[in-house]
Amino acid sequence: MDKHYCICIGRKFCSGGRNVAAIVAEKLGIKVYDRDLLKKAAQNTGFSEQFFDEADEEKTRKGLRSLFTGHFNGNGFSNNYLSNESIFNMQSDAIRKIHETEDCVFIGRCADYVLRDSDRLLNVFIAADINDRVARVCRHAGEGMTESKALSLIEDIDRKRSSYYNYFTGRTWGDTAVYDICLNSTTLGYEKCADIIVSLAKEKLGI
Amino acid sequence: MSELKTPQELGTEKIGKLLIRYAVPAMIAMLASSLYNIVDRAFIGHGVGPMALSGLAVTFPLMNLSAALGSMVGVGSGTMISLKLGQKDHESAQMLLGNSVTLNILIGVLFGALSLIFINPILTLFGATDVTIGYSREYMIIILAGNAFTHLYLGINCILRAAGHPNKAMVATIGTVLLNTFLDYLFIMVFHWGIKGAAIATVISQVLAFTWQCFQLSDKSELIHLKKGTYRLRGDLVKNIITIGLSPCLMNAAACFVVLLINRGLLKYGSDVAIGAYSIINSIGFMVVMMVMGFNQAMQPIAGYNYGARKFDRVLRVLYLTMFFGTCVTTLGFAVGEFLPDFCIRIFTNDPELTAIAHNGMIINFIFFPLIGSQMVIGNFFQSIGMPGKSIIMSLSRQVLLLIPFLIILPHYYGINGIWYSLPASDILSVILGFSLLIPQVRKLKKMI
Repeated sequence: MDKHYCICIGRKFCSGGRNVAAIVAEKLGIKVYDRDLLKKAAQNTGFSEQFFDEADEEKTRKGLRSLFTGHFNGNGFSNNYLSNESIFNMQSDAIRKIHETEDCVFIGRCADYVLRDSDRLLNVFIAADINDRVARVCRHAGEGMTESKALSLIEDIDRKRSSYYNYFTGRTWGDTAVYDICLNSTTLGYEKCADIIVSLAKEKLGI
Repeated sequence: MSELKTPQELGTEKIGKLLIRYAVPAMIAMLASSLYNIVDRAFIGHGVGPMALSGLAVTFPLMNLSAALGSMVGVGSGTMISLKLGQKDHESAQMLLGNSVTLNILIGVLFGALSLIFINPILTLFGATDVTIGYSREYMIIILAGNAFTHLYLGINCILRAAGHPNKAMVATIGTVLLNTFLDYLFIMVFHWGIKGAAIATVISQVLAFTWQCFQLSDKSELIHLKKGTYRLRGDLVKNIITIGLSPCLMNAAACFVVLLINRGLLKYGSDVAIGAYSIINSIGFMVVMMVMGFNQAMQPIAGYNYGARKFDRVLRVLYLTMFFGTCVTTLGFAVGEFLPDFCIRIFTNDPELTAIAHNGMIINFIFFPLIGSQMVIGNFFQSIGMPGKSIIMSLSRQVLLLIPFLIILPHYYGINGIWYSLPASDILSVILGFSLLIPQVRKLKKMI
């Protein structure tokens, strides 16, 4: 059995995944890793943070440009340390290292796939009703955001997260069979989602 | 990708030392594949005749197209496999290997069959005439029949490299060249099978290389090996393989379209013999270009790592050094092409008419060679520092975008010499383009040091 446990949270854009993760982490007294993770990875390799941002899950290309330059940053035929593939590998190493040293919550970044061999992993997916998400986007973005703009932003980011996840893991993002449990934060609320995750974690991970 | 397991040294070791260490294996592989071309053409030129050389040259666009499709699967699955191996996801890597084998067979057989059915119109389109089509067809029928093996051999070589066996991939490449040379000699010089002999030699050496590769990949103790149940195509894997492999494939396809234009132009304004002459010039030029590519391949990880690590002084140093080496190589090519053209041509033919045309073409074609070394390095440099867009503009400009207008316009005024002029004209323009893209980038880097 692994020394430390982890809870991996996948989420649709603006479904409150981050809020739920924060409550879970607070209840269990552990840390949440999201973008900070990238910085951690950056420190260990001597690479600057900027490149990890560029290769992030919301930066995939589409259309004609991807046809010529490759789907992600850097294309297949180069032996390149700046390719998404090699940055993904560095990020994965950082995720594994963190998992070896502490209990924590990972948000996104295919952590569930990277740590798939761990026997103390709880894999969660958070979704929400579309109206709720649109309202959230409008609330956060402030002036100039219309409902239709919010909707296309949501679709765009979900598509990018999905193609990133599917490309690197060979699994299907948001497919219920991938996760231990899928929760709807609109119907359950953040607090209830967190409660369910915590009690499931206690049962499954032997906390 | 897996030969680069110690990235730290890329940030500390002396640049010159690193560059040489990475360049030597890359150059050997590159030289081997350009020797393959030279050997085939030399045996056909001397053993069969100058018209056979033209007949062979007509088939290049078709062969390149086939290689482009092969490299699509090879690069795509190689990249995916090295990614999966990095994640210790051996099961997926295995599936990718199986899928790529199936995909190679499928595409190889399909391409081979379609081309065989339409062999006459295709060859005519590519510039074959009544004089040369006999040779082209005789050669191509055998090559196309073995097309699936060509794809399998090239594809598995990519995978061997990706799976951490670059040495095995190199053995396969060099072995194929040596075997092909021996068989060419045997079939053409001893058995007098003509151009057919060259095709048979190519197919046999690729089948044998593929058999050897299968033997290497059937060792069950290896991380990835050929395994039952992995050959059934999976939609998501195929999609990923093709997405990654498409851009190198399109680049190759564009290059083959240009060869087609050149061949047709040479035929229109010159003769069949001119097509053969171009293939001689091209072989020598290709060898020079491939050697620069060897340095380029070596530069990529060094420039890429140091760029990522924000060691911009080292980035610039490796850029300058690679440009220097690249220029040395192309200047050497220039010297040989300008001062010893007949020596090069004699490797392929003794025919006086062919020699005269090739001599004239080579002197024009190689005139700006000292400059294109840096142009090629610049294109690759953008690739290394994560700017694939600029890099693709660079490589398409010299061989496609700037070349095509010249190929269409110049022959109207200068006849066949117009075709020869097009090549150095696009060389010089792309060098200017290269430096105009590079200089602002270098300024930016210098500011960040």
